[in-house]
Amino acid sequence: MNYSELTWRHFESAAAAGVLQGGTVRRGSAGSPTCGTWVQFDVQLGSGDRDSIIEAVRFQAFGCPHVIAVSDWVSQAAVGRDLRPVLPEPVAALRERFGVPVEKLGRLLIVEDAWIAAISPPDGGVTAGFRG
Amino acid sequence: MPTAPVYLDYAATTPVDERVAAHMARCLTRDGAFGNPGSSHDFGDAASALVESARAEVAAAVGAVPEEVIWTSGATEANNLAVLGVAEYYGDSGRHVVTLRTEHKAVLDPCRELERRGWRVTYLKPDGGGMVQAEQVAAALKADTVLVSVMHVNNEIGIIQDIAAIAGVCARHGSARLHVDAAQSVGKCRLNFSSWGIDLMSLSAHKAYGPKGVGALVASGKRRVQLKPLQFGGGQEKNLRSGTLATHQVVGMGAAFELAAEGLDQEAERIAPLRDRLWRGLESLGGVLRNGDAAHTVAQLLNVSFEDVEGESLLAAVRPFIAVSTGSACTSAAEPSYVLRALGRGERLAESSLRFSLGRFSTEADVDAAVAAVTRAVSRLRRIAGPRSARSPGMGSP
Repeated sequence: MNYSELTWRHFESAAAAGVLQGGTVRRGSAGSPTCGTWVQFDVQLGSGDRDSIIEAVRFQAFGCPHVIAVSDWVSQAAVGRDLRPVLPEPVAALRERFGVPVEKLGRLLIVEDAWIAAISPPDGGVTAGFRG
Repeated sequence: MPTAPVYLDYAATTPVDERVAAHMARCLTRDGAFGNPGSSHDFGDAASALVESARAEVAAAVGAVPEEVIWTSGATEANNLAVLGVAEYYGDSGRHVVTLRTEHKAVLDPCRELERRGWRVTYLKPDGGGMVQAEQVAAALKADTVLVSVMHVNNEIGIIQDIAAIAGVCARHGSARLHVDAAQSVGKCRLNFSSWGIDLMSLSAHKAYGPKGVGALVASGKRRVQLKPLQFGGGQEKNLRSGTLATHQVVGMGAAFELAAEGLDQEAERIAPLRDRLWRGLESLGGVLRNGDAAHTVAQLLNVSFEDVEGESLLAAVRPFIAVSTGSACTSAAEPSYVLRALGRGERLAESSLRFSLGRFSTEADVDAAVAAVTRAVSRLRRIAGPRSARSPGMGSP
């Protein structure tokens, strides 16, 4: 399979791969390695009056290059944004941006699910757009 | 400037040996043997003489006699001619075929076609190492079995089946002809078509440093196996494979097989230590599983599954550095290897497998480069995936 330059760059660097620790970090994951795709995001929020601002994101992923690349891009693009249960870009736009084949759409939805799981309220409440 | 990846995919295809290419070149231009081998004039005779010389070289390399060699466009056509040709000819006396789940698609798909035509096909399951015992074949034979088709050297895992024992079972049955797909065998291990008692055997040139686009089906004269042709035209190859013979191609195949037979023992002796070095290097990563019974595998192939690594990412990560395959090059890479699945590997491990195939031009430096590339890729992908214990669905705590 051929990958776009953007996909290749983020797959190769995966600069945001890793985990975060601490009280202001929210974690969420989706998918399963047995199904071929699993993604986890750690989202660190600011403190005080910046407690709804994303300060850092790390991800872990078991998946194809597109999953790793998109997860890495999301992790970087979300920094500085408000805490909202949506990806920095809709899945359809991400698919276009990275040149992800349509048959892999489900894998991008797992990325989205992991993101929503990570930034959903800590009480487990479900926000709009969540896919279980 | 980036360096070219190390080529470790000789089971997919091989470069044409320069000595072979030189022979082929002499059949192409005006000053060479460009005539139609079927023509009745000096130009045709010159080409025909080269074709017959090549036929003898191929026969000698596999333990057959020249008259038994039928030129085809490759092993796929040879397999189709064997499976469908036997079925067409003997269909009145029986409609049952026995084969293995681990056969090449060029055998499995003709078998599927027979099933669509109302035939019964038994697909034998090999053991975890990839071997099928002659007793399994014997137990699968029915009174109306007309064909058993078994691959000699498996193209994905390199397992060598005991063809002589299986041939004995077929001979005792009486009407079960044995077809052997030996596309991967030439140059890797010894073949003895006549003394093993094989009825039909498929061969390919491009797996043995010959050109693509040519192969052969060897049909036993002694055992008088009969076939119905699949294509019709000029009646070449005893009416079994019509079409003008490609002189340069068959000459290339003859030269390649002669070289392969000459260098067989030295090649295995040189490559086995390289394969072992490759395995030791990969094994040290941990979480690495070797596919296929190592005691019954050709020296040239090593098939390995990597735990905790996604297959597509693994292949992408090593691609700039080494040319290898996941499964067979002849099937879609999008699906996990059905060969490894038949051996009992789970879907994920079947996906995260790499087939390394070494060949005539492989070196110790190639092997070391491969070990380094795979080590980097697997370590990095495992780091990105995190520890296995963390990968459970749902939310966790940081």
